[in-house]
Amino acid sequence: MAPRQSTPRAVLACGEVRTTLLPARQALDIRSAAGLLALRADERVLLSERPGLYARSPATLTGVDCPLPSANGARIRAVGTVTAHAALTEGRVLQTSAHCSLPATGPDQRRPWGEYLVRPGVVEPLGKLPHEAVARGVLDGPRRGDLDVGLIADGLLTRLLRHPLLDQRAPFRSRPTRLRWAALPAAPGEGPSLERFTLAEDELRTVRLRVPEDTAATDLATLCDDLALHDWLLTTVVRMLDGVRLGATAAEDPGAAVRALRPAVDHLLHLWMPGARVSRELAPLWAPLEERPGFTRQWQAMVQRIRDQLTLHTVQAVHREAEPAP
Amino acid sequence: MTESVFRETAAEPRTQSVPLAHLSVELGHLYMEDFEAGPERLRAHFAEVRPWVEAARTAATVRAGGKRARVSTCFLVDDYFTRFSTPAEVVPMLLAEAERAGLGIDYLARESGCAVTGKVPVAEAVAARIVESPPPGSHGLRPPAAQTGWLANGERSPVPRAPQAMKRAVPWQPPHETAARRHSVFLDVELWNDDADGQRTWSCPFLAAVWQLARLGLLRNEGEAVLTPQPHTPGTGFPDRWDDLPTLLKLNDRADPFAAYRTCSVLPTRFLPVEHAVRVILDQIEVDPGALAQVADRSGKERTAVPASVADRLSYVYYAGL
Amino acid sequence: MLVFAASDKGGTGRSVTSANLAYQRALTGDHVAYVDFDFGSPTAAAVFDVPGAMRGAKEHGLHSYLEGETAEPVRIDVWRQTEHPLLRTRPNQSGRLVLFPGDIGGGEFATGEEALERCVDLLLRLNSEFDVIFVDLSAGRSYAVDMVLAATAHPRMRALPFRWLVFHRWTRQHVIAASGLVHAEHGILRGGVERGHDEDALRAAIRFVRAAVPDPEAPSGPQVSSAQATWMQACDEALRRLAADHRIGDSVVLGIVPLEPILQWQEQLITEEDVLSTQIANKETLEALEEIARRLTDDTHWGRL
Repeated sequence: MAPRQSTPRAVLACGEVRTTLLPARQALDIRSAAGLLALRADERVLLSERPGLYARSPATLTGVDCPLPSANGARIRAVGTVTAHAALTEGRVLQTSAHCSLPATGPDQRRPWGEYLVRPGVVEPLGKLPHEAVARGVLDGPRRGDLDVGLIADGLLTRLLRHPLLDQRAPFRSRPTRLRWAALPAAPGEGPSLERFTLAEDELRTVRLRVPEDTAATDLATLCDDLALHDWLLTTVVRMLDGVRLGATAAEDPGAAVRALRPAVDHLLHLWMPGARVSRELAPLWAPLEERPGFTRQWQAMVQRIRDQLTLHTVQAVHREAEPAP
Repeated sequence: MTESVFRETAAEPRTQSVPLAHLSVELGHLYMEDFEAGPERLRAHFAEVRPWVEAARTAATVRAGGKRARVSTCFLVDDYFTRFSTPAEVVPMLLAEAERAGLGIDYLARESGCAVTGKVPVAEAVAARIVESPPPGSHGLRPPAAQTGWLANGERSPVPRAPQAMKRAVPWQPPHETAARRHSVFLDVELWNDDADGQRTWSCPFLAAVWQLARLGLLRNEGEAVLTPQPHTPGTGFPDRWDDLPTLLKLNDRADPFAAYRTCSVLPTRFLPVEHAVRVILDQIEVDPGALAQVADRSGKERTAVPASVADRLSYVYYAGL
Repeated sequence: MLVFAASDKGGTGRSVTSANLAYQRALTGDHVAYVDFDFGSPTAAAVFDVPGAMRGAKEHGLHSYLEGETAEPVRIDVWRQTEHPLLRTRPNQSGRLVLFPGDIGGGEFATGEEALERCVDLLLRLNSEFDVIFVDLSAGRSYAVDMVLAATAHPRMRALPFRWLVFHRWTRQHVIAASGLVHAEHGILRGGVERGHDEDALRAAIRFVRAAVPDPEAPSGPQVSSAQATWMQACDEALRRLAADHRIGDSVVLGIVPLEPILQWQEQLITEEDVLSTQIANKETLEALEEIARRLTDDTHWGRL
């Protein structure tokens, strides 16, 4: 008899990623990063130095037993575990990410809890799962009491932000973002595709994917972490440039632009590496974003603008020194 | 690209595998009071245990499809809650009484090894793997009722809390077992307590849960197996200090592996509440997924059924009295 | 920077004045949060004119957040969600102005250890996002005052600069009460020291704002007889002596907001429009608010005396 713990195939995977600047004066080195992300005594933090410093915590599980969000109002109860992890990029950008997979059908009654624990990251519906409606419900945002994986990502973030390694002196002001995602099965024979990337509200992004059924949920989560990281970088640098008064008003305080833009140079510009950790199957999903609106194109334009501003300031400073006031 | 030629070992998880028997039979626990009652107590115990061990062996053979089942036996000595006598005195007596009853002890373990083995804080690591069973309505908000150091099989009575001004306090409500069928058997298990100096003492049920995980081959530390058996050279004696005795000692060099797909413990009935607590704990521990997969994989190849739920891999025989 | 708005009594104009200060700071380009810790009567929504947006605060306001019932408190973007016609067009180069309301129908509640940790979490997160965070506190020696005193003494909050504004009206009772709130047995200073604050540092971070102050020098018009004017000047003089005796004299006053008729009728934000085109508000009021807002971060007005 085959063991019963083989995971039934998922017809929906969904998750949410929180991305924020690490509130610490100095970026954490790889050893401190491992200390911050050591969520468990018996599992090591995964550390990687190529192509950039990256640390990822062991996964933690949270039990859930609640209705699923759904666009058509059906209240399908589901039971299982949501898996969550945290990642730190270049010791500077902290992400927490929670996700789960849902099979097409489940038992009519809740099983003993131990049976859910041997399938981490799976949330099983009681009965049949209307996966298209639930995917829309997830992306529209859960109603109170519905499954909310964002709360789990937020809980982990809160826990990490309380860590004594953090001195709470962030080098500049920024806003965290949330990226909510849902992945549905692709048509048979089709490869993965990114159906929609939406800037929903100030801080909320939603991503809708189609993927072959054998795609690992952890690979999906890694892809979405990567999308969230780069979207956060874009958002943060856009806002930084937005807050700088250039041109005529800048003449009153020529140092203001430098003070405002310098943190981007010190902390952010070297973090841009789309797709660096994404699995080979899912890496092509970056292509549509690069095509329109062109994430990297916008990034490079901003990098250029920041460099120009700083150069301009240097030139002006030299100019002032060369021609002392009469 | 993660599948490329370039690899970083610190960036990849791995899990060491351990050899597995079909069944691990526990022949008993030895506490100070048992020891103080003299060899007669052990003699009576082993006499009670003997027929049940035979039955467990037979059942394992049937389950293995009539082939030879790999069965190992073990015995646990408490050196954690009380320290008594010395290994040099206790172990030979223990072995002699087992032999007199026709039983062989393959592996001998010290209970403190379930708390800390070498430098590995085993109990602490297991405690960090608790995933509480969610009562209906758990939708992702932090569990509000989590009690540090306690684990229940359901929802506790709400703690009366000072309500907001001009709002009514909630009246008493009974606790509720999550898996209850109509009526609850609610159990709240103390996992540990800390003394005034912050020194933590793990509870007997919690260490027993760790012990069961060890016997099921499911304990890992950073992917490495923990509580692995150390060989004992036949004919040599036993040390005078418990700390000098390996936490898990292999007494019979021809024994089947210590860890097994299933466990069976033969115990006096007074252990029933403790073992109920063990089930409540094991039902809420997320064991190392790598270790779990290895067991599933190997049992699948051997065409041996292993229950999905870890708690269901345990069985007991309780005998009356003594 | 954190700015705590406290008062011993109700009716001091604490909420409406601090809301106006928040508005003024946002106009100058700061990103500003306004946090309603007036747990007994969470009404900041009225000042910012965002009643419609309050529906979400029914179960997700600050009460629910601190009690652990919700993970993230509702935030209301004032520029976007206000029903005040003048505020809706967000002025160019202004910063964000975000209101964190209490629960509708929320009441005073005893705050415990967990609420304190959550309060610290919230203030730290806001600090990483906003330039100035106004925290409006329930009047008197309240749980809210207690909680933020403990929070600002918390090890995780060491890096956060904070300042206190104590609002009071310009009457004998109010002067004595405001002094008591800061200096008396269970006042902010002693309470702060008990929770781990350095007394001198804490005292250096407290300033007073006199609100709804009638102008004794006002030309005696038809409503004010010369006898009344003389009496008012004497009163003003006596109040100054009283304030100095109670250690809340001019040297620790950050600003004075004149008696403003429209604020007597309605708690609202005073815009340039109200002064210039419709002329329903006095120029002096607006100037006083602008000046206090500016002084909040001007170190020459703070520190030990």
